[in-house]
Amino acid sequence: MEFVSPEGLRLDGRRPTEMRQLRAEIGVVSKADGSAMFEMGNTKVIAAVYGPREVQNRGQQTNNDHALVRCEYSMANFSTGDRVRKPKGDRRSIEISLVIRQTMEACIMTHLMPRSQIDIFVQVLQADGGTRSACINAATLALSDAGIPMCDLVTSCSAGYLNSTPLLDLNYIEDSAGGADVTVGILPTLDKVTLLQMDAKLSTNIFEDVMQLATEGCKAIANYIREVNPFILIAVYIWPSLKTF
Amino acid sequence: MVGLSEGEKEFIKGGIAQDLRSDGRKRYTYRPIYVETGVIPQANGSARVRLGATDVIASVKAELGKPSALQPDKGKVAIFIDCSPTAEPTFEGRGGEELSAELSGALQRCLLGSKSGAGAGIDLSSLIVVEGKVCWDLYIDGLVISSDGNLLDALGAAIKAALSNTGIPSVHVAAGASNDEQPEVDISDEEFLQFDTSGVPVIVTLTKVGKHYIVDATSEEESQMSSAVSISINRQGHICGMTKRGGSGIDPSVILDMISVANFVSRQLIEKLDSEISAAEANEEES
Amino acid sequence: MLKSNVFSKKTRNNKIKKEVREVYLRDDIWCGVSSCTTCDSPAASAAARLTASTILVVDTNVVLHQIDLLENPAIDDVVVLSVVLDEVKNKNLSVYNRIRALCSNSLRKFYVFANKFHKDTHVEKMEKESPNDLNDRAIRVATQWYQKHLGDATRVLLVTNDRENKRKATEEGIFAETIESYVKSLGQPDLLDLVVQPASVDVNMEDIEDSRPSKRKVIYEEHKPMSEITSGLRHGIYHQGKLRVNRYNPFEAYVGSESIGDEIIIYGRTNMNRAFDGDIVAVELLPQEQWHEEKSLSIADEEEEEEDVHLAPSSADDAPRSTTPVNAADQIPVPSRPSGRVVGIIKRNWHSYCGSLEPMPMPAGSGSIAYALFVSKDRRIPKIRIQTRQLGNLLNKRIVVTVDSWDRQSRYPFGHYVRVIGDIGDRDTESEMVLIENDIDARPFTAQVLACLPPLPWSVSSEDLANPIRLDLRQIRVFSVDPPGCKDIDDALHCTALPNGNYEVGVHIADVTNFVHPGSPLDDEASKRGTSVYLVERRIDMLPKPLTEDICSLRADVERLAFSVIWEMTPEAEIISTRFSKSVIKSCAALSYVEAQARMDDSRLMDPLTTDLRNMNSLAKVMRQRRIERGALTLASAEVKFQIDTETHDPLDIGMYQIREANQMIEEFMLAANVSVAAQILKIFPVCSLLRRHPSPTREMFEPLLLTAAAVGINLDVSSSKALADSLDCAVGDDPYFNKMIRILATRCMTQAVYFCSGDLSPPEFHHYGLAAPLYTHFTSPIRRYADVFVHRLLAASLGIFQLPTIFQDRPQLTSVADNLNYRHRNAQMAGRASVELHTLIYFRKRPTDTEARIVKIRSNGFIVFVPKFGIEGPVYLTSKGQKGGGEWYVDEQQQKIVKMDSSLSYSVLQTLRIHMEVVEPQPNRPKLQLTLI
Repeated sequence: MEFVSPEGLRLDGRRPTEMRQLRAEIGVVSKADGSAMFEMGNTKVIAAVYGPREVQNRGQQTNNDHALVRCEYSMANFSTGDRVRKPKGDRRSIEISLVIRQTMEACIMTHLMPRSQIDIFVQVLQADGGTRSACINAATLALSDAGIPMCDLVTSCSAGYLNSTPLLDLNYIEDSAGGADVTVGILPTLDKVTLLQMDAKLSTNIFEDVMQLATEGCKAIANYIREVNPFILIAVYIWPSLKTF
Repeated sequence: MVGLSEGEKEFIKGGIAQDLRSDGRKRYTYRPIYVETGVIPQANGSARVRLGATDVIASVKAELGKPSALQPDKGKVAIFIDCSPTAEPTFEGRGGEELSAELSGALQRCLLGSKSGAGAGIDLSSLIVVEGKVCWDLYIDGLVISSDGNLLDALGAAIKAALSNTGIPSVHVAAGASNDEQPEVDISDEEFLQFDTSGVPVIVTLTKVGKHYIVDATSEEESQMSSAVSISINRQGHICGMTKRGGSGIDPSVILDMISVANFVSRQLIEKLDSEISAAEANEEES
Repeated sequence: MLKSNVFSKKTRNNKIKKEVREVYLRDDIWCGVSSCTTCDSPAASAAARLTASTILVVDTNVVLHQIDLLENPAIDDVVVLSVVLDEVKNKNLSVYNRIRALCSNSLRKFYVFANKFHKDTHVEKMEKESPNDLNDRAIRVATQWYQKHLGDATRVLLVTNDRENKRKATEEGIFAETIESYVKSLGQPDLLDLVVQPASVDVNMEDIEDSRPSKRKVIYEEHKPMSEITSGLRHGIYHQGKLRVNRYNPFEAYVGSESIGDEIIIYGRTNMNRAFDGDIVAVELLPQEQWHEEKSLSIADEEEEEEDVHLAPSSADDAPRSTTPVNAADQIPVPSRPSGRVVGIIKRNWHSYCGSLEPMPMPAGSGSIAYALFVSKDRRIPKIRIQTRQLGNLLNKRIVVTVDSWDRQSRYPFGHYVRVIGDIGDRDTESEMVLIENDIDARPFTAQVLACLPPLPWSVSSEDLANPIRLDLRQIRVFSVDPPGCKDIDDALHCTALPNGNYEVGVHIADVTNFVHPGSPLDDEASKRGTSVYLVERRIDMLPKPLTEDICSLRADVERLAFSVIWEMTPEAEIISTRFSKSVIKSCAALSYVEAQARMDDSRLMDPLTTDLRNMNSLAKVMRQRRIERGALTLASAEVKFQIDTETHDPLDIGMYQIREANQMIEEFMLAANVSVAAQILKIFPVCSLLRRHPSPTREMFEPLLLTAAAVGINLDVSSSKALADSLDCAVGDDPYFNKMIRILATRCMTQAVYFCSGDLSPPEFHHYGLAAPLYTHFTSPIRRYADVFVHRLLAASLGIFQLPTIFQDRPQLTSVADNLNYRHRNAQMAGRASVELHTLIYFRKRPTDTEARIVKIRSNGFIVFVPKFGIEGPVYLTSKGQKGGGEWYVDEQQQKIVKMDSSLSYSVLQTLRIHMEVVEPQPNRPKLQLTLI
C-alpha cells in the first residue's frame, strides 16, 4: 500500500517529517494533585498524578530513601475503533504501565521525597497510534502540574519506516502497516535517551535515520510542553547554582 | 477518600440544615453543569459532562447484531461504566469495580426500563433493521475521569447528551437473500439515523444528610449521607426508575416527598441540560 | 489546519465501523504551472510541469476510459487531481499505474495536484451528498481555484463527459467541455478514433450488427448484482476463480475454484457470459446431467475456428489441457469434470490487445465512420467491435485495441482503436506484436538508468584489486564456452589439477551486482524487465548494452570482475570443499561449443587448455551420470535454430539445434554451481532466499502420454522421476527417433519450474523434479536474468561482504518479486516461441517443402503432426472443414487411431508419414502455414 504519495504527502496530508497536531491542557482533573490532557492528532490521553503522599501500602516500599513511583495505564472501552471490553490489567497494559513508570522514575528526583509515594494514572480516551508516547508526554505535564521536582522533562515520540521513507509520529493506519516503529523518549535538556523501543526489522543505517527523526520529534514536543507549562520545576536549572556554594 | 475532622462534619451538616451548603448552594441547587459533545470522534456519539469537579465521559457505539428471540422487534442497549483511577487512586487495579458495577446497574434500571424493554427511555424498536434478524446494538460506555460526588446524575446527563449526539448510518438490506439466514447489509454514508432523545429521562439523586436531603452532593457531603435515592424522571414527569442506596431506612412518606422534590428539580435540570446540549452541538458544528 | 474526515466502513465480518481520519490542510501545495508567480518557492518551480496557455483538468471517468487518449502525446498540460487519482486507483489499478506513469514521465506535462490537502480546495461532505457528487464538486472547486489562481491569461478547462457536472461547472463560470469536443477542437481527426464512445452509440450499432432477427435479441444472461454474488459465494451456490480460456480452443475455459477444489469447465461463449481470459468470475455449476454438452455447445457459435500450425509445445503450460478427447457423444464416458456457467464478473482483466481488423468492404465516402471487427492475435480473446474514421488506413495494419464495454445485446464487446503497429506481414511489425502481446518492454533505457553505468571505457581498477574481499585469479587459466557469437558471456570456468590428484574447479560468474546497486534506477528497471528476451533476430537486454556486452561480459583477454564458486573435487567428481568469493579473472579464451568440442575430439592437441577441457568433461560425465542415477530426467524438446540473413534479417536456414557433449559439460557445472549456491543461501537465510522449484507432475498430467504410450505398446512408470527416467530409457522403438519422440511428449506433460521465496513454502516443496535436486536456484546468468542478480546479493550477504537490501525483510514484496520473475520468464519464453513461429512462416513463404512428420494426436477429422526437422506442430485434415467429424472416418480411442469407414486406411499415433508444407493465403494478408498429406 502507498503510505507516502509520489508527491510526498502521507495519507492524512502530512509530509514525512511532520508531527500531528499537538494539544495539551493542564489541570483537567481538579481533584488530582496534578493532571494533564495530551493530544497527538486523534490520540487523546489524560494523566493524573496523586502525590507525593504517604505510602499507602508499606509492603511496596523497598527503598526508604526514595519516593515510590507507581503507574497505571488503562484504556477506555471506547478508545479504539473496535469496541472491546478488556479486563483490567491485561499484558499490554501492564507492560505499558511499566514502561511509563520506568521512564518517569528516571526523571523524578525521588531522593528528595523519601518515604512517600507518587501515583501516576494515565487513561487513554482515544487511541490512534503513538499512545505510549502520548502517555509519557501527558505524564510529564501532569507531574510538572503537581510540582514534583524532576531533573528534566521526558518527552516521547515515535517514528517509523514505510515505503522506504522515515515517517514521524505514525498514526494507527501507518502503525498497523507492518513497518518498523521506533518509540523514543528523551531528556531534552540533558540530551539523554531514556526510552527506546522498536518492533520489526531495520538495517542499521536506516534505523539511525528513523531514530534521529523520532529524537527531533521529542525535542519539538519538549518545546511545546514548555509552552504549555512554563513553570516546570526542573532541577537542572538549579544545579549549577548549587555547585557554586 | 475524604478525610474530614469532626468540626468539618458538623459544619457540613449544619450548613445543610440551614439551607446554606459549604459551597454556598441551597439544598436543591445543582452545581453549574457543562456539556461538551463529540469528544470521542471514533464513537457514534459522545459527550463529556462536568458537574463541579465531577467529570465524566459517555460514548455510544452502535454495532449490528441479532435481536433476541423474545423481542424480535427491538434492538439492544447495554450500559457499562468504568471508574478511571485518575478520578480516585483507590480505583486503581480492580478497586473501582464495585462502584462501576453499582453505577452500571443503577443506570440500566433508570434508563433501560424493564427486561421486556418496555418503558425504556430510548425507543428500542427504532434500532431494528430487519425484524428478527438484524438490529443495532448500542453499547453505552461511561468513564469517570474525576469524581466529586453525584456520579450517577452526571453519568445520566452525559448519556443523554451522548445519545442526542449519536448518528447511526442508515443501512439497506441486500435483496434476494433467502429467508433462513443472516441478510447482507450495505451502508449508505449519506444518511444518518438520529435519536429522539426527548424521552430519555434525567436522574436526580437526593442525598439524605441528617434530617434533610440535598441534590447534587459533593463527595464531602456524600461522606455524611445516611442514604440516597436516585429517581429518573422524563420530560412528562413520569418516574422511569429508582434506586435507593445507603444503609439506613427512610420513612415511606419521605420517599414520596422526595419524589415530588425530584420532579420539581428535574424540570429545571432537563431544561438546563437541553440548552447545554444544543449549545454544545452548535459549538461542535462550528469548530 | 486540521480537519477530520469521518465515514462509515463495512468490515469483512459484516460489521459496520466508524472511521475517523485526520486531514491536514496545507498551504505549500503548488499549482505546477511554470509561469505562475504566486507559487514562487524553489520547491514550486522545481515541481512545475505545465506551460501551455490552456490547462486541462480531467475528471475520473475521463482518466478511466480515455487513458489511451491521454497517453497520446497530443494531449498535454493536464492537471490530475488527487481525488481523481484515488478514485481511479479504487476502480482500476492498471489504469492507475498508467496515469501515474504519465505523471512521473518527465517528457509529458502531467501534474498531480493534491487538492484534498490544499486549504483552498478541500471540500467537506455536505448533507445528503453522494460520494460521486462530492468528488465532482471537489473537481469543480479545484478547477475554479486554478482559474482564479492563474488569472485570465490562462484558460483552465474542465474536461468531463458527465452532463450534470458539466452543467454545474458552466453555471459556476468554469470552462467545461466533453472530451470529444475538446479533441475535435485540436483538429487532428485521427485522435478521434482514440476517444471511447459513450455507451449510447449502441443504438446506432443495430444497423451494422447482423440484421437477422435472432441476433438482435438479448444474447447473454444478465450478470448478477454484486451483493447477490457475495452472498451466493458465501453459501456455496457460486464459486469464485480466475477464468482461463483454453489457448487452443477459445470456446472452452476453466475456472480453478478453491471452494470445489477442482477446475470447473465452461463450455461456449454463452456460458462464459462475456468473461475474458484472466477475469475473476463467479460461476454457477450446471446440473450434473449437462456436464457433457461440450461439443454441441462450442460449435453453436458459428465462428470458424481451426487450429494453426504452431511451434511444438515444450511444457504442459504451453500445451492444451487434456480434455475429453474427440467428440464425446458416441464414446465411453470419461470421468467428467464439473461444468458451469459464469453468473457475474468480480474483476475485469481488460487491457489492450493487438491484432488486425477482419477484412470488410470500404464504406461509402472516405473519412466517414465505419464499424469494424477486430480479431486479436491472442485466440483467447473474442472479436472486438470498434468504430473508426480511418478504415482504409487500418485494414491491412496490425493495430492495438482496448475493450470498453460488453452489453447483453451484442455478440462482441465494444472497444476503441489505440494505435497502429505497422503493416500486416511485415517482419518488424509482427515482431513488435510479439513483444506487445507478451508485455515486453523493448524501449531504450532511460537517461536515469544509463546514468547508473560506470564511465566508459571501464577497466578493473586498482581499488578493485586491492579490495580484500576479491580473490585475484588473474593467473589462473580461465575460459568460457558459449554458443557462437555470444556477446553476453556470464560464465567462465577453470579446472586445475592439484598435486594430491584432485581437481580445483571454478565457476566464475559475471559480477553484475558490483554495478547494479539495489534501489538504483538501473536495478528497478532490471527487476521490472526480469530477463533478457531472445527473439530470432534480436535480443532485448535486461541491462544496458555496455554492461551486457562489455563491462560484465567475461570476454577473453581482459580483466573482469567475477563471483566465483570454487570446488575441490576428486577425480570421481566428489565435492570435497566449496568456496565462494568475489574475484578478478582474466579469461584466456572465449570458445564456442563447436570449438570446444573440436579441441576435445582432436587427439593431437595436448595444450593445457585442451587438457583442462578434457578433465572437466570427464568430471562432468561422472556428475551427469550420478544425477541421472538420482532420477534426473533427460528430457527433450524440439529446439530450432535459424540461420539469419545479416542484411535482410530473413531466415536462410532452419533446423534442429544440435546438442554436443561440450554443451552438456558446461550445463553440468552450471547446475552444480547453482545447487551449491542454493544450499549456501538457504543455510544463512532460511526464509528469504529466492529458489527455483519444479513441481512434480500429477498423474493426471501424464494421462495423454500414457494413452499414447499404451497405444504403441509401451508401459511407462510415472510414479517417480527415477521410475520415469528408467522407463523412458527402455522405451525404444523400431527407429532411432522413437525414443526422442517419447521424451518430447513426456516433457510436454510437465509444468515449468518456478521461482519462489523460501519462506512461502515448506522444504519438501522446494524439490526440483526435473533435476531430481532437493534445492535449486539460479546463479549463473546474472547478465540476462534478474533472479540471478537477486541470488548474487543473497550469496554476498551470506558471506558477510554485502549488506542485505531491505526488500529481503519484506516477505510479501519478495513473493511479488518472485511472481514477477516467473511472469517475465514465461513471457520471454512465449515471445521467443512466437518469434520462431513467425520466422518459420517467413521461411516457408518462399520454400514449399516436403518432409517427414509424426502423428502426435488423433482428432475426429484428422490428426496433429509433429515435424521434427522444424520443430513445428500442426493439423492435417482428412476431411474438408464443412463435414467435421462426420462421414468416412472414425476414431479408435483405445488404439489412438483414425480409421476409414471401410477400413481401407488408418493412421495411428506416432506413425511416420510424409507431408507437404506450404504457406497459403486463404484471406488477403493473412498468410498461414498449411500441412497436407502427400
